[in-house]
Amino acid sequence: MDKELMDLDTILARKADFRPIDKFEPQWFYDLRKAGWEHYHDSPPPNRASNVWRYTDPSLFVIENPEQLLDWLPVLPDDVTQELKPMKPEHAAFGYNRSDLRTFTQMAPELGGSGVIFKDLFAALRENEDIAGPHFGKIVGPEFGKHEALNMALWNNGLFLHIPGNAVIEKPIYMHRHPTGQYTLQRLLVVVGENAQATIIDDYSCHCRGMGMVTNAAVEIFAGESANVRYVNIQRLGEDSRPYITERAQIGQNTNLHSIFGSVGASVTKVNAGTILNGRGANSRMSGVIFGNGKQHFDYHTVQNHRASESFSNLDFKVVLRDKSMSAYTGLIRIEKDTVNCEAYQENRNLLLNRGTRAESIPELEIMTDQVRCTHGATMGPIDPEQVFYLRSRGYSEPDAVKAIVSGYIEPTLNQMPADIAGILRELVHDRLDGNGNGGRVY
Amino acid sequence: MRDIVFACSDIHVEVEGKEVVKGVTLEIRRGEKHAIMGPNGSGKSSLANALAGHPNYTITSGEAFIGGGNLLEMDATERSRAGLFLAFQYPLAIPGVTVANFLRAAVKAQNGNDEESLRNFRKELTEKFQLLEVDKAFATRYVNDGFSGGEKKRLEILQMAMLKPKIAILDETDSGLDIDALKVVSKGINASTGGDEAILLVTHYQRILNYVRPDWVHVMIDGRIVRSGGPELALHLEEHGYDWMKREASPVA
Repeated sequence: MDKELMDLDTILARKADFRPIDKFEPQWFYDLRKAGWEHYHDSPPPNRASNVWRYTDPSLFVIENPEQLLDWLPVLPDDVTQELKPMKPEHAAFGYNRSDLRTFTQMAPELGGSGVIFKDLFAALRENEDIAGPHFGKIVGPEFGKHEALNMALWNNGLFLHIPGNAVIEKPIYMHRHPTGQYTLQRLLVVVGENAQATIIDDYSCHCRGMGMVTNAAVEIFAGESANVRYVNIQRLGEDSRPYITERAQIGQNTNLHSIFGSVGASVTKVNAGTILNGRGANSRMSGVIFGNGKQHFDYHTVQNHRASESFSNLDFKVVLRDKSMSAYTGLIRIEKDTVNCEAYQENRNLLLNRGTRAESIPELEIMTDQVRCTHGATMGPIDPEQVFYLRSRGYSEPDAVKAIVSGYIEPTLNQMPADIAGILRELVHDRLDGNGNGGRVY
Repeated sequence: MRDIVFACSDIHVEVEGKEVVKGVTLEIRRGEKHAIMGPNGSGKSSLANALAGHPNYTITSGEAFIGGGNLLEMDATERSRAGLFLAFQYPLAIPGVTVANFLRAAVKAQNGNDEESLRNFRKELTEKFQLLEVDKAFATRYVNDGFSGGEKKRLEILQMAMLKPKIAILDETDSGLDIDALKVVSKGINASTGGDEAILLVTHYQRILNYVRPDWVHVMIDGRIVRSGGPELALHLEEHGYDWMKREASPVA
């Protein structure tokens, strides 16, 4: 049936089907989910004339017969076996998020007494309602968009991380997000207190192939005053996956957030990532490294929303495309009125390794005030055959020459990251250059 | 034939369908220093690039050998590994790749495997840095990225010194150098050649030949070598220019 032409009775009938997950579900949470379900049915399809949807067909992420998923509600802790995975010594905590299993989390012993909470998101909404409740659904809520509404209504696995004020967690907190089956709807909620420090690796990976899997993920991050947070989003899904990820972070006064996106996997990737700079002196850095192969399609949209004076944002996205891969980058800088002395910089560069690749880059500026410094730049161009010849004349093979040039191209971006994170991204790109699958090993 | 490291005969080169080298024959023995001189547009740089395997320069006929190998059957990578080196007139920047990593990879590629230990490499690199009077910080800079003209030429000779080719073609390495840089670069060339390593120095001017003394001088005009001789030929050219030779070279109408 055509989804857009459903009659009112059907819509009402479907809304009526919506029911609580279990008797412990807080009413506010039920209301949010139900609002998502209603918004999903009531809202028009995404507008393809807008830059955000100009390059990617929204129907690629449509979930057929979502009412079937109403019966596929979150697995409650008592029902299922845990899948145990050993935590690596270089991580402070490990979370495993798989849609057909209960979410699993584990923390290093040294986190004992730190007050860090890392657990299944459903459990947190009941057990840590005081922290999770005021933040859940606030920046990627039921009315964010059609796909986000569906996520709110039907998500069935998620993680919750809370870093209390003043806690400094040196090692990264690693999360393996593992889609399974045809549809995965998952969420992540991170709440970081004042003066706290943490690095979060949010790794989307699976071996999944040939299933046309849709992953719809929503990520919300809140970082309090003077906190120092790194959020690393890695997308190395199997070659027939279609991830749709909406990420929003809200940062406070003098807070530093470095959001890092490494993307090499999947067939069609759509990411909408944004930072809301909500306090004076807030600092948002965003870095991206994308490598495309075959017919891969990447569509990244970023938002820097300056709502406070003297806030600073800097974005640096590097894209390398090979074969017939395609990237569309659209970046919005919005500076609200009544702010002064904000600075916003945005740069997107695209390196095309052969004919047949395609890159689009569209900056969007919404500057509602006069006292502002703002620049943006985009470049796209082929690999320079003179550079390749120069290296070959020194004995480099042609593939090694290309690899050196690509490595050099992304290196200034990687240099802005901590060495361990840069190492992960470098390895992802090198694996792709060497022709290895979708970015190397799965965790 | 025993000592011949590089030979070519009747080489013709085309660029974008236009013939720019019209039959060049050369024979270079181990350790010899040859200079090719000639006015602008005589085909010197085209010959250099074509021999190194630049994809825009097509060798349409002739033969060329390096060591015992047929140069024309090799691609640019293989020519380099066979011992041919081209010092570029306009060296390319490779942003994001440090000089040290670049040289390490190049040395590794030449040797075919990783025989040379990292320590040896570093020791040798330090020596060559001293030879070419460059600062240690050079190693961590990106290849030719933001380099001055003089720094780029020093790096070219540094690479030659590290790679120890059988035959190095130096394409106007002297252009754009002030007199102090020219002396340093010449010192580097002299220190790295004369033993087993032969050079073919391509230049407009006699100036560099005051520092790098050639065994042979060839004069190239309109795609052909019109005269070969000893170092005295270069001095003669410096005094009288190329015009008298152009008149001699042009076919009788």
